[in-house]
Amino acid sequence: MDRRKFLSVTIKTFFVILGVITSAIALITTYPFRIKKRTVKYFPVMDEDELPRRGVKTVVFSYKRQDRLLTTRAFVVNHANELYVLSPVCTHLGCLVNWHRKKKQFLCPCHGGKYDITGKVLAGPPPAPLTRLPMRIQKGKLYIGMKV
Amino acid sequence: MGKILDWLDSRFGIKAPHQRFLQRPLPKRLSYLYCLGGVAFTLFLCLLFSGLLLSIHYVPSQDEAFHSVVRITREVRLGWFVRSIHKWSANLLIVFIILHTIRVVVHRAYRPPRELNWLVGAMTLVIAFASGFTGYLLPWDQKAYWATEVGTSMAGTIPLVGKYLLYLVRGGPEVNGVTLIRFYSLHVLWLPLCMGILLWAHFHMVKRQGISGGL
Ligand code: HEM
Ligand code: FES
Repeated sequence: MDRRKFLSVTIKTFFVILGVITSAIALITTYPFRIKKRTVKYFPVMDEDELPRRGVKTVVFSYKRQDRLLTTRAFVVNHANELYVLSPVCTHLGCLVNWHRKKKQFLCPCHGGKYDITGKVLAGPPPAPLTRLPMRIQKGKLYIGMKV
Repeated sequence: MGKILDWLDSRFGIKAPHQRFLQRPLPKRLSYLYCLGGVAFTLFLCLLFSGLLLSIHYVPSQDEAFHSVVRITREVRLGWFVRSIHKWSANLLIVFIILHTIRVVVHRAYRPPRELNWLVGAMTLVIAFASGFTGYLLPWDQKAYWATEVGTSMAGTIPLVGKYLLYLVRGGPEVNGVTLIRFYSLHVLWLPLCMGILLWAHFHMVKRQGISGGL
């Protein structure tokens, strides 16, 4: 093999290897990194006869996400003859809001977000109402749906 | 492989007109200093490659930008690596364009008929600076925000037109989400496009005029 041929083969090999490495990097980084689909699963929270007859009740409950036991809370609300569950996560930056019984408002401790009993924003920076969580009543128990 | 390329080239015809260029005589005293421009071009290719990969995961909105960059660094496979490549290549690109310029000055290679190519080269440096400046805002963290606040405010000090120029670059009186979108568009579309056209012109002239004999 003469000098010219040797250089030509070396350079070609270099570019083929480079092409393989860059293609591999491109494929590895662009392939989606979170493929599991999140599905809503229902967890029992309280007995039917514990449901609030009027107003807001805070429940603390545990649920499982990918083998991890997580504890969270939610507001069970009975207002204007409607039963619904509100998530306590402020839609501004995700602090947990509290129910103020006297003011009849959900107050966010972080930047002064205020919501009324239906979750509608009354004041502060939150861009959207509190999220309503899916719920169902089955066999005398209240179930709340969480994304797992 | 060679056969496929030959078939392609028999239709495309790019090899023959370049034969003269590839086989051309070179100045006697070539040295590695003549590679500096090539190194800068290679760095631009690295930026193009890593930038295209980043743009798959980056979200150019004031609510999402910062989180998407955190996600790129922490969750995307090899994301930290691609980001580092982008960052290092961006800095080294400027270093190597300047080194290449110094080589051209020392060898007096800017003299006629190469003055136009000197101008084109100078413009690539301006575009590189502009890309660095617009890219720096994209992570949308405190450092990025205030660097842009300070950097763009300089435009405001120009007499008469300063105020309007400031509104133009910021897309309003202050740095906000509108500025982010502007900078993103410039960074990933306008500036790489300009750079591509300039580099094409640069290499075209190098081919036509040959490499200067030096000193
Ligand atoms: C040619 C195509 C290019 C594309 C598609 C591109 C794309 C991007 C994207 C999506 C980001 C945000 C991600 C991040 O911050 O990590 C970014 C950041 C950045 N880009 Fe580019 N870019 C290109 C070229 C350039 C060039 C030519 C330069 C500079 C000379 C440059 C300098 C920067 C800088 C300094 C950052 C901030 C990096 C950081 O803080 O991590 N980019 N680019
Ligand atoms: S997080 Fe609730 S007001 Fe900001």
